[in-house]
Amino acid sequence: MKKLILPGCILFWAMATLAIAQSQGQLLTNFGPSPSTAAFHEINGLFTGDWQQYGQLFTELQSKIFSQIFLLVVTVVPLIFLLHYLVIGPMIFSHEGRQIYYFNLFARCIHWCAAISFALLVLTGLLIIFGSLVGGGVLLRSGRTVHLISAAIFSVSALFMLLIWAKDMIYAPYDFMWMLIMGGYLSKKKKPVPAGKFNAGQKSWFWLATLGGMVMAVSGYFLYSFQGSPDTLRLSAIIHNFLGAAMIAVFIVHLYMSLFAIKGAIRSMISGYKAEAELTILHSRFKF
Amino acid sequence: MGRMKFLCDIERCIDCSGCVVACKEGHHIPVGVNRRRVITINQGKPGEKSISVACMHCADAPCIAVCPVDAIYQRDDGIVLVSKETCIGCGYCFMACPFGAPQFPSGQVFGARGAMDKCTFCAGGPEETFSEKEKTLYGQNRIAEGKVPLCAAMCATKALLAGDADEVADVYRERVFKRGSGANAWGWDKAYQKK
Repeated sequence: MKKLILPGCILFWAMATLAIAQSQGQLLTNFGPSPSTAAFHEINGLFTGDWQQYGQLFTELQSKIFSQIFLLVVTVVPLIFLLHYLVIGPMIFSHEGRQIYYFNLFARCIHWCAAISFALLVLTGLLIIFGSLVGGGVLLRSGRTVHLISAAIFSVSALFMLLIWAKDMIYAPYDFMWMLIMGGYLSKKKKPVPAGKFNAGQKSWFWLATLGGMVMAVSGYFLYSFQGSPDTLRLSAIIHNFLGAAMIAVFIVHLYMSLFAIKGAIRSMISGYKAEAELTILHSRFKF
Repeated sequence: MGRMKFLCDIERCIDCSGCVVACKEGHHIPVGVNRRRVITINQGKPGEKSISVACMHCADAPCIAVCPVDAIYQRDDGIVLVSKETCIGCGYCFMACPFGAPQFPSGQVFGARGAMDKCTFCAGGPEETFSEKEKTLYGQNRIAEGKVPLCAAMCATKALLAGDADEVADVYRERVFKRGSGANAWGWDKAYQKK
């Protein structure tokens, strides 16, 4: 008889609590069916998350805007320069006379590593953006591989470029003047242009290529490896595309300047020497 | 022509993952790829509900809009399919999809993603119907055989419905009607919360 007292008490206590709880509607309400609208609301949150924030933005940008921006960049920028070439024409300097050693061998090697890998990055990048014209498949898949390898080479070259040129690329007060007169490219007169070893345009291109290149490398890493939340990937894609468009635009500027706008300017990147006649006008503040 | 749709009845889904297994096994889907998955809310708590989700075969699908090589297309019956031979594995469709439907097999050269793989509504792909190539790349083509998709056919509680949108809606409407007003007319509320 005594053995039953303790279990009996426990049972009574349990039943009593249950009864009280049930009468107050605390215990069993939670086990009733919850409205399915609430469940669907919760499920939607898990499905789509905050897709509206970046998912929708990315979808809208990628479906229309990005390809239009790139189309504008690769058509309008060259067209402007064609106009410039026809109306104002190139600058022609004598390549005779005193020669100044401008780029050492190491700098030239780094420059051409960066140049070739960057050109490949631009070409394969544009190939991916206008992929529907090519039709995808093996060609574009190899294009992506080339994009990856070139990106690795360019990232390393960009680091070296930072090492060898960052000091010369710091902006100086007279760069503001250079910007105001657009580097003297809008007039046919040969007046000395305020610029040190590098002019403001070259400096801007340098920082865009190196620092911007690093941002491209990081966002590109996310896009390639998919190591990140969907929102990280979406943001990476948005940054990669906008910055890519800007870099291609300035790349075209750089190509035009070195190949066409200043006749023979590219020679200094091959031999390392610039002629005095060119320096006194285009890099008037450079001490040699 | 009808409009194909999936519908998962969350009052019936019991999170058995039979649909996931049926899909994965029936189509010989590569490792790391899940065309279908089951999401459970309030797991182990009151109000636990599960839903099976795959590609929703959206009208105006965002994946089709963002694909840079136009590898994704929509059939007249609403089924969204991908051409794996055109796909370059850029992953934009994954970023655009609200449901996480596009999946990518890993293990390619340079760690690249392979071609995108997603629910085909068991309708194969752009290759010739019933060809060996279609089967290796996309799995079975049950729609061409006149069958419902594997997942819906396998569903033990018939929570997952697949087929023509009107038919699916009819089945579901009948169910809701039989359950009573709202999905919750009968149950604990009726028994214990009588005011």
